[in-house]
Amino acid sequence: MNDIFGTYIREKRTRLQQANKRYSLRQTAARIGIEPSYLSKIERGEQSYLSEEKISALALDLDEDPDVLLALNGKISRDIQEIIRKRPQLFARLIRELKNMPDQAVLKLVREVRDGDW
Amino acid sequence: MIELKHDHLVFSFPDIHPDAKISIGFQRTLRIPDDGKTYPLPPGLGVFPLKHIDDYTVPPAWARHGGVMLPMYQSEAMWINFNTTYIPDRGTAYPFAVKVATGKIDALTGTPWKNKLTRDPQDYMISTRQPWLDGYCVEKDLIRQFVAMPLGSGYSAEEQITGRAEHGGLQIIVYPMRKEVFERRFPKIERTAVMEPFIGAPAAGEAVLCEAESFDMGLAPGGKMHQEIYEDPFNFNDWDRDTHSRCFIHIANSLVWRAITGDVPPTVPFTAKEYTNSGLPWFEYYDDQAKSIDGSNILAKLKSVIQKGMDKGENPLPENQGVTPDNIRVIKPGNRVREGDF
Repeated sequence: MNDIFGTYIREKRTRLQQANKRYSLRQTAARIGIEPSYLSKIERGEQSYLSEEKISALALDLDEDPDVLLALNGKISRDIQEIIRKRPQLFARLIRELKNMPDQAVLKLVREVRDGDW
Repeated sequence: MIELKHDHLVFSFPDIHPDAKISIGFQRTLRIPDDGKTYPLPPGLGVFPLKHIDDYTVPPAWARHGGVMLPMYQSEAMWINFNTTYIPDRGTAYPFAVKVATGKIDALTGTPWKNKLTRDPQDYMISTRQPWLDGYCVEKDLIRQFVAMPLGSGYSAEEQITGRAEHGGLQIIVYPMRKEVFERRFPKIERTAVMEPFIGAPAAGEAVLCEAESFDMGLAPGGKMHQEIYEDPFNFNDWDRDTHSRCFIHIANSLVWRAITGDVPPTVPFTAKEYTNSGLPWFEYYDDQAKSIDGSNILAKLKSVIQKGMDKGENPLPENQGVTPDNIRVIKPGNRVREGDF
């Protein structure tokens, strides 16, 4: 059971629903292709399984970062798994070393799109 | 700063506001027939993949420009979506002024690229008003679709206006609203919200187009469609014109993309005829609260790909049969979705 994931989803969806009825349980479930009763169970923490594709679709629908929702659901996206598999020692070391680094310092490592001369 | 996330360019201004973010994606779509008729908005068929220029061996000019690249087939069309994050306790997303150019020619005014905003004529869009841009603003409420053609073949807007095939690609610059103006105009609220986020999910499609010979692609004016470009509802001084981020988006033809990246580009999209005959939806978007700007006299004089092809004795668009869309969905600002699994 995953209360954190379910609670997070429920709070975000109901907040959006207050502004727009399209975020009702039924309509949200329909857009991501699951039964409303199943989404309800997930929101109550009675079910936790959702595929990576469904979690990503839910993230897009709720304007959330797919990586955040996947992490709350105990998953890592396939593309990140693939990145780690290619250089497992390097990335394991990198992640451990960044573990306690403050957000601002980690953000300095975020890659920016370079603007050149044009 | 600009990051590349899930094939979108994410412009953020953390020093201005933690929620000052806009995600810009480049949607694959049908090429609407270039037959003189005015069409509704075609669907989104998934985003084009984006890659950092710096990760690959590319032509020296591309390396100098920096930015990103994406693949397009010759005569393939695209539209650009502006995706802002709704801030519930403000009842809005953070507003941005966004300028788009192709080959360093402004897509709204037809004037040469400038690293600044111009109010009259308005050469930028407002991210919270304008969900999409599909082409060149040739008349009020009428655009000509962005269609990829080889740079140097004479079809691109850049070549038609400047007589030179120099830049190609797309250029985007984003300006945030001033922080103090945002705080004043959109103070924190308890629960009420007035605008919704723009949300969408990509899909894929198939059709037949020709592969280009030139490695560098430019965008050219294609068929006509109804699209309003909305007036700036704010004061010109509301924009933080000293703060901006900009990006050069190079367009590689599909063969060059494969050679540079080793990746296979997306399949070519449906033709308009295949799509329409399948009964799939087209779209019309109306915002009753917003006024639209006039078209550009410069862009109005551009020849469409078909018109230019006739001048040159060529047939640049082999699949150009007119269609009659009868499944048209009307979209309002509260539900700005025109992508999905079709």
